[in-house]
Amino acid sequence: MTMTRVHRSVREYDVFARKARVDPLHHVGRVVAPDDDLAQAYARATYDEERWVEMVIVPREAVITVTAPGDE
Amino acid sequence: MSKRPVGGPVSDLVLSLADCKQLLGLRYAEWCSATPTLEADIAAAAMGLDDLGHSRVLAGCLSELGEDPRGPERESDPAAYRNVAFLDDTWTEWEQFVAANAILDTAFTVMIESLAEGEFEVLRTRLRKMLAEERYHFLHGRSWLNEMGMSEAVEQAWREAVEWFGPDGGELRKRLAGKLERPEPKLKIDWSKWDPIRRRTKSGAIDKHTFDMLRGLEEQRYGITGAETPARG
Repeated sequence: MTMTRVHRSVREYDVFARKARVDPLHHVGRVVAPDDDLAQAYARATYDEERWVEMVIVPREAVITVTAPGDE
Repeated sequence: MSKRPVGGPVSDLVLSLADCKQLLGLRYAEWCSATPTLEADIAAAAMGLDDLGHSRVLAGCLSELGEDPRGPERESDPAAYRNVAFLDDTWTEWEQFVAANAILDTAFTVMIESLAEGEFEVLRTRLRKMLAEERYHFLHGRSWLNEMGMSEAVEQAWREAVEWFGPDGGELRKRLAGKLERPEPKLKIDWSKWDPIRRRTKSGAIDKHTFDMLRGLEEQRYGITGAETPARG
């Protein structure tokens, strides 16, 4: 991936957002960035299709899978 | 910090800020398919749109700040634009983008914060939204600056930011270095050459292509005149 040639190391982040306070946060996409600052800037620039009231990012490595597709 | 900006009436300062933001927005946009990553391309486009919008808001404040400093010379003289020299020409290196994004954009934000805390009601009310958007510009610029480190472009941008603050801009300089979490580089500035209207020591002006674009002449080259409009259907 090009990013790894530009940055020494990168992390994946999941992006969650909601349009209204009464809505739950939902997954809107992912960004790849070398640090939390750039990940915030990229998430805001990339997923600006709505006037979100809230957007958060979560490092993919912080996600703990409880069940996954294919689990019985 | 004194409430009145240095270097002349507040409208002169706001026009310089508007011109800098317009040029910064255009320079960002020029890079929206040329940065090292797709994500930075998208960020360049978004930041460019933000700064062009900020320029319009700032220019819209001028009528409420006294006599409008924009004269007819802006139609014929590129040097009538009050932008910092760093924005005169298209950036050829990514380091220049990062330097402008981290240092100059943040310097403009420091000034906007100062104006938003100041005594002019129109600025106190209209500049707040800009600061929310500028947070992302700052995160983007600071991260790339940390990635790439100091460079000749960074030092030049910092020098021009200090010049743009003006000879009495000590408090603004401290705020800029504080935000960037870096000491200001050692700068020798010949304030006897400082132009208080353009807020810079360098002569020169924006390139002809950009000047023509600002005046709407470049767009006309690609426009379709009424007589040449092809029939539809």
